[in-house]
Amino acid sequence: MKTRQIIATAVLAATALGFAAAGAGASARTPAPAAGPGPQQDVTMTIRQGMPAINLALPKFAVGEGAQAVADEIYGILAADVKYSRIFSLLPESYYSYIRPLDRSNIIFKDWESINANNLLVGSVSLDAGGDVTFEWKLYDVKPGQPMKGKSYKARKEDLRFMVHRAADDLTAIWGNKPVFATKVAFVSNRDGNDELYLMDYDGAGQTRLTFNNVTDYSPALSPDGKMIAYTSYQNLTAGLYILQVYEGRRLAVSLKGGNYSPAWSVDGKKLAFSSSMDGNQEIYTADVDEDSLKRGAFKIKRLTFNGGVDTSPTWSPTGRQLAFVSDRGGTPQIYTMDAEGSNVQRVSFGGSNWHDEPAWSPAGDRIVYVARVDEVFDLYVLDLMSKRISKLTESNARNESPTWSPDGRHLLFTSNMKGGITQIFTIDYDGANLRQLTTKGQNKFAAWAN
Amino acid sequence: MRKLIVLSLACLLALTFTTSCKPKVKEVPPPPPQAKEQPRVERVEAPQPVQKPQLSEEEIFLAKSLDQINKDKPVRMINFDYDKYTIREDAKAILETNAAWMKKFRTAKILIEGHCDERGTEDYNLALGEKRAKAAFDYLASLGIPADRMKSISYGKSQPLDMGHDEGAWQRNRRDQFLVIEK
Repeated sequence: MKTRQIIATAVLAATALGFAAAGAGASARTPAPAAGPGPQQDVTMTIRQGMPAINLALPKFAVGEGAQAVADEIYGILAADVKYSRIFSLLPESYYSYIRPLDRSNIIFKDWESINANNLLVGSVSLDAGGDVTFEWKLYDVKPGQPMKGKSYKARKEDLRFMVHRAADDLTAIWGNKPVFATKVAFVSNRDGNDELYLMDYDGAGQTRLTFNNVTDYSPALSPDGKMIAYTSYQNLTAGLYILQVYEGRRLAVSLKGGNYSPAWSVDGKKLAFSSSMDGNQEIYTADVDEDSLKRGAFKIKRLTFNGGVDTSPTWSPTGRQLAFVSDRGGTPQIYTMDAEGSNVQRVSFGGSNWHDEPAWSPAGDRIVYVARVDEVFDLYVLDLMSKRISKLTESNARNESPTWSPDGRHLLFTSNMKGGITQIFTIDYDGANLRQLTTKGQNKFAAWAN
Repeated sequence: MRKLIVLSLACLLALTFTTSCKPKVKEVPPPPPQAKEQPRVERVEAPQPVQKPQLSEEEIFLAKSLDQINKDKPVRMINFDYDKYTIREDAKAILETNAAWMKKFRTAKILIEGHCDERGTEDYNLALGEKRAKAAFDYLASLGIPADRMKSISYGKSQPLDMGHDEGAWQRNRRDQFLVIEK
């Protein structure tokens, strides 16, 4: 490693929430060696350890009659969500043994403060005669000893996971976070022999097949409301672009002319950008999607790019005013941005013979994650649009690709063949921490988070 | 009495004969040409063995199923350079052969499939495969093959021919494959 210097660690979660970062992680920055022609950008490699967040105390819930198993399940799911959130940090359970047991009618906040709890969640679980589960929680701010928010949910047992994920979303919403846990992820799997569309929870649970045909279904993009999936399907030997209305089970054709790939929804869900050869060359187009066009199954299509090369992989800025995309107009695939009408094209990735590809614009709009191919190794990098600084997100000696952001921008999904050469879906945090594998059956790719 | 009638009738007959039968040249019909009385030999010929009809190449082609046709890979594959979608010189010769084949079998329609090696992202390779398919499409069109007899599609890197991870495998996988979809 080259020169190492500690840079100020702006801990995203903490600063965004106005919290003082306690125990900042260490970062190392290494300028990249000059390689190849073209303007050079600093490649910053960031290694952050330990994410200081809000220390949450999560003592075991009060349990109604016969509800112990359910309560344990809820506790497990909620604890996993909280850990994943990067907003809260779960206090180790062993700490609770240092203080007096929780008395729900008389909470001694000094005790909780003494073990460094910032927030305390007090929950209870009960089962009613019909088998429905009730889960109630109340969050306290420990220092002032004030209740912050509370909520109660009732659900059928089979909807338990969804109920807890909703609770986790409500919990993180207190700190201004967008819902993550109850959102879905669309992906492609060949586990049943053919590339078909599937849906799963953010944590890999509940993997459900959506399409049943003998052709390839590819490149799903979940609409922001999670109700529609735009995707490529090879029906009738044409790579057509379709919209699947997930809960109606209705399929609409958007474009069946030429090859149509890589759809991306705008944040308001009203525009679908995609790459198509409908006019002969691979260009970027948008389709207007609204109630009327969905009803009629006819979409107004507009062409945005006009050049002889490949233009593909569009991704919307959160404002909907810009798109990033990939073009080989400069000789190799590189990332460009343009205005939503197709004007003002600017190249944003450089680096000689290296490919820069598959951009995904962060929900906050400040960063673009993309794939760079360096010496046959594909890794994810994050470009900070303001500082133009690049940080390397994955280090795998494999092929990591198809990155997509979580709705809150704290996590990413991507596909990788790092484990045994078979492509699987992984999740990683925005800073490279918490790598987790979500799929194991068959080959799985094209993960798309609704955002 | 009866004898008398018979006698008189006979005389009468004799009279009529002698009066009508004047002496004249006796006409003797020429003897019929004497056919040689030989045992008749019948020539027996077995019906001609059923000849296979002389089918034209086109008829043979039409008789085959699409699967059979494609098994022979009549329209040959072409390869590309890394990250390129321009038709190479060696590919031009192959495409000319392919165009000749298409001109011979005038009803055939083909699907041009663009494929890529694994060294690219899913997204980019779909677009790159599309460009490769389109390059062959345009070249065949320039050789006089009507556009409505061709269709292009990209499979990106999803269908490698060679599962290897070296230049040899990559070169084999960077290709346009041609599938006969109508005959």
